[in-house]
Amino acid sequence: MKEQLEKETQSNEKKVKIQIKDVSFDYVDKKTRFGALKNVSLEIREGEFICILGASGCGKSTLLSLLSGLNKPKSGEILLDGKPIKGPGIDRAVVFQQYSLFPWLTVKGNVLFGIKQSGKKYGKKERVELAESYVESVGLASAKDRYPSQLSGGMKQRVAVARALALESDVLLLDEPFGAIDPKLRLELQELVSKLCANYNKTVIFITHDIDEAILLADRIVVMEPGNVRSIHKVRLPHPRVREELSGTEEYEKLHRQLITAFYDQVEDRIDAGVAL
Amino acid sequence: MKNLFHLEKGMYLEMVLATVLMIINLILTLTFPYFTVHKKYYDSGAYIAVLFISYLIYLAYLFVAKKKSTNDVAVVLYGFFLLWEVAYKLGWIHNDLLIPSPEGLFHVYVEKAPEISKDVWGSIQLLFWGFLLAVTLGTLLGLLAGWIPRVREVLLPISNVITLIPPLMFSAYMIMILSTFRQAAIAVIFFAVFWPTFQGTVIRVGQIDRQIIEAARTMGVGTVGMLWKVIFPYCLPGIIGSISKSLRGAFMCLSGAEMLGINLGIGYFTEKYKSFADYRCVLAGIVTVGVITTLIDLGVNRIQKAIIKWEK
Repeated sequence: MKEQLEKETQSNEKKVKIQIKDVSFDYVDKKTRFGALKNVSLEIREGEFICILGASGCGKSTLLSLLSGLNKPKSGEILLDGKPIKGPGIDRAVVFQQYSLFPWLTVKGNVLFGIKQSGKKYGKKERVELAESYVESVGLASAKDRYPSQLSGGMKQRVAVARALALESDVLLLDEPFGAIDPKLRLELQELVSKLCANYNKTVIFITHDIDEAILLADRIVVMEPGNVRSIHKVRLPHPRVREELSGTEEYEKLHRQLITAFYDQVEDRIDAGVAL
Repeated sequence: MKNLFHLEKGMYLEMVLATVLMIINLILTLTFPYFTVHKKYYDSGAYIAVLFISYLIYLAYLFVAKKKSTNDVAVVLYGFFLLWEVAYKLGWIHNDLLIPSPEGLFHVYVEKAPEISKDVWGSIQLLFWGFLLAVTLGTLLGLLAGWIPRVREVLLPISNVITLIPPLMFSAYMIMILSTFRQAAIAVIFFAVFWPTFQGTVIRVGQIDRQIIEAARTMGVGTVGMLWKVIFPYCLPGIIGSISKSLRGAFMCLSGAEMLGINLGIGYFTEKYKSFADYRCVLAGIVTVGVITTLIDLGVNRIQKAIIKWEK
């Protein structure tokens, strides 16, 4: 218990990496105008792994698009290292749900693209070596010369992760990256991402609708209700986390219960309001 | 190599049939050169060469691709030649001015070799320049218009109107306003190829997966980089794919333009001999256009396969 407390104070000392300040956003259709986010505030510290958990339509992907700079908040601002985010930039790497690889480039070519965009001055040989090491780190060394059309969904997402790492940004944003992948492979990918993000000391924001995924990966879990943050849960389980060892432990069960309550209460609210159905 | 000569039994039989038909053709043209009701006789060398070359191509295709249809095509081809030859020799074809013998037709390529090769080369040069200009500009403008809505909204309506006008209709006017026939021919090809290329590119740019664009944007790719490093390679297979189609169209327009007054190229060759009432040469010109178009088509497909490895 004492150790834990120390650890917590330590992490509290780490400086704030991302500040989401009172951010609102709405999609404007021709006829309707519906709020996607309303006065959301959140602070994320350096090296933290945050999972944003929520049902579909709660605005979690919108929040990520604001963080990536693809959309701009209607009001409020997001600060990265104290400076407001004005648009997309190489200080934040994004892994999308799927179909984001460049189909005309090989696995290695896709990663090389990331390295070239990173703005770091590598020689040609260095770049290739670096690309190969990233490809290897996601376990695709034998498929490095294949094109995306020749890869399975899981392999594609591995490439997307490698390409994001290649940008060498401090911040990694992942938008339900494993949502379309079958459960067994998903577990492998989750463990891979968890390991890589710790190794490269990334600040990570990971969007998901899977409670177990969030518990497995996150330092903190942010549960969203439509338009806003409902609750924030600290995950005090030690790393590395293994799915089989986690389930059954008291801490895990408690957290799981809390999350389910937070998650489903909100769904019930929406059913009452006639939104979800 | 062992498997190279292995064929199914039925395919062997049909191959024998095609070969027999080819040999009968050879015998007819070799042994009865003067056995004909017509007075005029042409040297059969060119026809024999055609028979042999086509037979070699046929064998190569047959053993490499091992498709039954290759046999069928050969049987139809040699059957057709046989019918033509027999019909001619027996006098079923009365007017050998209008319909020549196969020997007569292919002999044109020997008689008029310098003229034909000059005209073919002329046509190909015109085609090359007009095409290069049109595809380069069409693709560039298409990429710009596809990516930048303001450019698109100006150019697309204009192109919608212009593409409806047959490019050949320009040619008479082009000949009037441009100083040389070469320029006029290139202009006609340009009009035939530029607008379809432009429109095709705009459409392809519109079909790019949004996630790919967004991924590129999050990696700090700017407008120029987006066009050059993302949109262009993404559209490249489509651009090359449309080339063989528009090449065919361009060649058609070119032949037409040449017939309408440009005194150069294979279309001009055909038109010229039409006015001389030498229909043997007219037919030879038509056959030449067919052969060239086919060759270009095959070449473009090869290039496409060599460049584009990433499409399924």
